[in-house]
Amino acid sequence: MIRVEQLTKTYGTTIAIDRLEFTVEKGEIVGFLGPNGAGKSTTMRILTGSLGATDGRAMIGGIDVLEDPRSVKRIVGYLPEVPPLYTEMTVRSFLRFCGRLKGAKDPVEDTERVMKRVGLESVAHRLIDHLSKGYRQRVGLAQALVHSPQVLILDEPTSGLDPAQRVEIRDLIRELAQGEVTVVLSTHVLSEVEAICDRAIIIHRGRIVAQDTMESLARSTSRIRLVVARPDPGLQQELEGLGEVHRVSFDGTRTFQIDAGADIREAVANVAVSRGLLELGSQRGLEDVFLRLTRQDTGTPLEQP
Amino acid sequence: MNVLTIASRELRSNFTTAVGWLVLCGWLFLTGLFWVLMVQNYVLQGQQVAFDPYGGAQMNLTDWLFVPFFGNCAIVLIMVVPLLSMRVFAEEVKQRTLELLMTSPVTTAEIVLGKFLGQLAFVGVMLAGTLQFPLGLLQWATPDPGALVGGYLALGLVSASLLSLGMLMSSLTSNQIVAALLTFAGSLALVVVSWGSSDPNDWFAQVSLVTHMNDLLRGAVRLSDVTWYVAFTAFFLFATLQRMESFRWR
Repeated sequence: MIRVEQLTKTYGTTIAIDRLEFTVEKGEIVGFLGPNGAGKSTTMRILTGSLGATDGRAMIGGIDVLEDPRSVKRIVGYLPEVPPLYTEMTVRSFLRFCGRLKGAKDPVEDTERVMKRVGLESVAHRLIDHLSKGYRQRVGLAQALVHSPQVLILDEPTSGLDPAQRVEIRDLIRELAQGEVTVVLSTHVLSEVEAICDRAIIIHRGRIVAQDTMESLARSTSRIRLVVARPDPGLQQELEGLGEVHRVSFDGTRTFQIDAGADIREAVANVAVSRGLLELGSQRGLEDVFLRLTRQDTGTPLEQP
Repeated sequence: MNVLTIASRELRSNFTTAVGWLVLCGWLFLTGLFWVLMVQNYVLQGQQVAFDPYGGAQMNLTDWLFVPFFGNCAIVLIMVVPLLSMRVFAEEVKQRTLELLMTSPVTTAEIVLGKFLGQLAFVGVMLAGTLQFPLGLLQWATPDPGALVGGYLALGLVSASLLSLGMLMSSLTSNQIVAALLTFAGSLALVVVSWGSSDPNDWFAQVSLVTHMNDLLRGAVRLSDVTWYVAFTAFFLFATLQRMESFRWR
């Protein structure tokens, strides 16, 4: 549904995004991860046609965003980081305006449908200015949905919301994806990506440093905690000699910590069992991958996509 | 269609914000004040002229009342139109709503034109509000319809020119006050520039916003005058369009 090739955007000498390359299949939910300033918003703004690219191509639904932005905008719904709301309008009249502007088939009918969908019926007649942040975010989402887009691009859709509202928005996004809408969302809340995305693309300093399904991303790193009854200096060496092991640290008493590139608990257990294995546990998670990838200051890709 | 959608939102936004109502009230108050004082003055002068055997022939509504009234209206427009145009893009940039328009399937030209027409329609409402003055006069006198049509045409054209200038200024900054001040200063300069010249055909008079009103106010609609305002408006709308296009490439 979305195909990005060699996409580059430079501001003067600053490189915002550098030869990005990725694809998103129909009905997939893909999370853009990255520290602030990594190039997430820039990428999204190029995809939605509000910003031009310096080089490369971006295709949505087989249409080149840079060549025919108008056709692309008809099938894309976009929620920017700050929801674009005319605060002096009522929710209903604002959404009708958006519907007309974005070419909804029946702006009046579509407005009612989308308000029902995101739970705005009770505030339909109120001025957006008087709404709470959570409701404003919903209006922003409704605005992106009013013309029934095939692709939804959401820039930090849950920022500034309370936990209950986050869950609501997440559920809504998941529901939409079941209805064959392709979703690209950015966030720096890792648990969110783990909760709703099929796949994550980690961007750092304008480059993609990793992209994979959530499971294999989490599998790519493993921190194992090992407690043995009778530690000896040979054990540390033996552990370091195992494949995929990056680092082994020993706290001087009985606990070892092993960072590895894969889940090697079985191998560790085999080595440790003769020293009186007491505990063996692993802490795996996206957070580790994320930190490992984005702490690299060189910005060179660790894993070629 | 898209132009109309944008224009109608723009027009309605003036009625849902304080600025729109304040401009409308201020405009009606100032023009009403001018009208009352000028009619009073006209009556006074009429009484004096009554004793002058040759005077009666010189006095007419067009030259003694409508031309100076519409002239003053144009000056009031220079003060109030910048308050309308200042919001057009500056507010959108500041509120981040421009992104909504930019990511909708509309062209930049449609956005610029829609906003221009929406604001022009609001000026139309303002001008329509002053129709009560000449119409109220009908029970005592018969104003020259040509002068009235020409007068309103002139005010409409001046408003369009001021709006287009103001929209360019509004697209240059995200600060509404700055946009209004730049527009006000620019349009005032375009009026004052003619003061130094006595010949209406010289260069200074020709670039002035008000020189081309003179014949229109007397009911003489000349293509050259109308073209001047249309070209002025088109130029600044085009400049605004170029400026807005640049947002996509920054």
